[in-house]
Amino acid sequence: MGGSFVARRLGQAAITIVAIILINFVLFRLMPGSPERVILRGTPNVTPERIEALRERWGLNDPVFPDQLVAYITSTLTGDLGYSFIARGQTVVDVLAQRIWPTILLFGLGEMVAIALGLALGAYSGWRRGGPIDYLGNSVSLILYSTPYFLLGMGFLLVFASSIKWLPTFGMLTAGRVYGSPFEFLADLGAHLVLPLATVSLGLVGQYAIVMRSSIIETLSEDYVNTARAMGLSEGRILRHHALPNALLPTVTLIAINLGYVIAGAITVEVVFNWPGLGTLTVQALTARDYPVLQGVFLLLSVAVVLANLVADLVYGVLDPRVRT
Amino acid sequence: MVGLAILTFFAILAAIPEVLVGPLQTAVTSIGPRLSPPIDGFPLGTDELGRDIVNLTVHGARISMTIGLLATVVTVAIGVLVGIVSGFVGGRIDAVLMRITDFFLVIPTFVLALILTPIIRDVVGSATTEVFGIRMTLIVIVVVIGITSWSSTARIIRSQTLSIKERAFVDRARVVGAGPGYIMRVHILPNVINLIVANAVLVFAGAVLTETTLSFVGLGDPFQPSWGQLLEAARSVGAPGLGAWWYFVPPGLGIILVVFAFTLFGSALDDLLNPRRGGRR
Repeated sequence: MGGSFVARRLGQAAITIVAIILINFVLFRLMPGSPERVILRGTPNVTPERIEALRERWGLNDPVFPDQLVAYITSTLTGDLGYSFIARGQTVVDVLAQRIWPTILLFGLGEMVAIALGLALGAYSGWRRGGPIDYLGNSVSLILYSTPYFLLGMGFLLVFASSIKWLPTFGMLTAGRVYGSPFEFLADLGAHLVLPLATVSLGLVGQYAIVMRSSIIETLSEDYVNTARAMGLSEGRILRHHALPNALLPTVTLIAINLGYVIAGAITVEVVFNWPGLGTLTVQALTARDYPVLQGVFLLLSVAVVLANLVADLVYGVLDPRVRT
Repeated sequence: MVGLAILTFFAILAAIPEVLVGPLQTAVTSIGPRLSPPIDGFPLGTDELGRDIVNLTVHGARISMTIGLLATVVTVAIGVLVGIVSGFVGGRIDAVLMRITDFFLVIPTFVLALILTPIIRDVVGSATTEVFGIRMTLIVIVVVIGITSWSSTARIIRSQTLSIKERAFVDRARVVGAGPGYIMRVHILPNVINLIVANAVLVFAGAVLTETTLSFVGLGDPFQPSWGQLLEAARSVGAPGLGAWWYFVPPGLGIILVVFAFTLFGSALDDLLNPRRGGRR
């Protein structure tokens, strides 16, 4: 792969991240109330000296441009995102660090299940286009695609909390429980994970199936598939060896590109099940108008999405030399 | 066809809620028992304040769809403006505009909307003015959806503008002395209008979803409950856990059906009107 391609993609990603920080800076200055109040809100024992020290460090005594902007970008890049209001003065980075793992656990697993199921369903219904599975799968996919993730979660909650009480519907672990062994811990975690995971996967599966279906249909009309057919290969072999690998590539890229939309919408699932991740954190921060935390969430998710896109681009570049222009 | 039938049904609900179910019930004017399952006089039960769910859902249709419509207008207006200018003018302006467009395509714009909404509300203050019968708090949501979701529209319009720009009648207009503003308005815009309509329908579906989700995380307005706001209220009183399906199933179904119908309708229009996708699928 050409070095200039990699360098250009890296450069674009870096510019995007700087632009995100720029937006955060504008928002930070837009907020009503003096900036040091926004940063220090929630910290106990605020003395005039402390305020002065803070003004000094964030460059608030200097002109907005370029000094404050430079100070803001520098502090963001060194991992200083201010203090959280709801967490009583803990740093935003600490608060995010506590909440990120439940989210990664839930969405990492959810994405995997949804990608596997969605690609399989999409590939099959595209292959057997017009068949009963295609018809059913397509309608279900479209309906799932039209359903907000949290609504799906509320449906699950209705069934499992009030009627069939098989599974826990609240939180990540049973509160106050002492575990005798790591297995007990895992079993408890697993039981709590089932419903949110099912919601996330089901919410995502529809759109992945739709994308994969149209991709496989497009691939099946390509010349090399016709050639393979003319050579007398079996349909199953054509699907597995010729159509699938070529249809997978654009689909996986699309999934990476859409990650941002997906995660943003799907974090609402956490709220429904009180899953202690970034989604519940966001809602708590919104209620309390905890802007530093909200900005931290925005920064974290945006950078994650930019990096996912970057990786997808580079991988695509390795696999398909045509895009390296 | 199914899509159109669903659309007509909800358009009627949204157009004349007063005629169908009377004025919006509030905590003061509610007369029902609290959080009651469907009973006589309350075919879909009541919420925790004793308001009739039928009344709330029908009025929610108006609020959700009005916000969706206004947000679509803002989104499409920005997208079309950026797309046409970018495609027609070209050069450095095009490069800058497309960089910004790509930026908005990549970042999770919903999270940006999430943080923009409360900040803009704080800046605007608690103005009580209404626009199109919609309170200022919700107008902020309209604007925020508009400025965060125009990028795909701009992309589509730009590529169409690029091909129209090369057509003979545009050259002819330029030769007889028409300025760029005139050409964009009179020659380019009418030729992308098909595309705009098809795109607007899809944008509407997205806008309704975004509004719902923003309301669900607590950015709605309890005084003008949209469907998303009703779902938020239902969640916060624990309706799903209590088995109070009547509280959140009607507004939830409303959202699913409207988004589903608009997506169906939009993709059908898109296949029909978008020359770049004609013949596929």
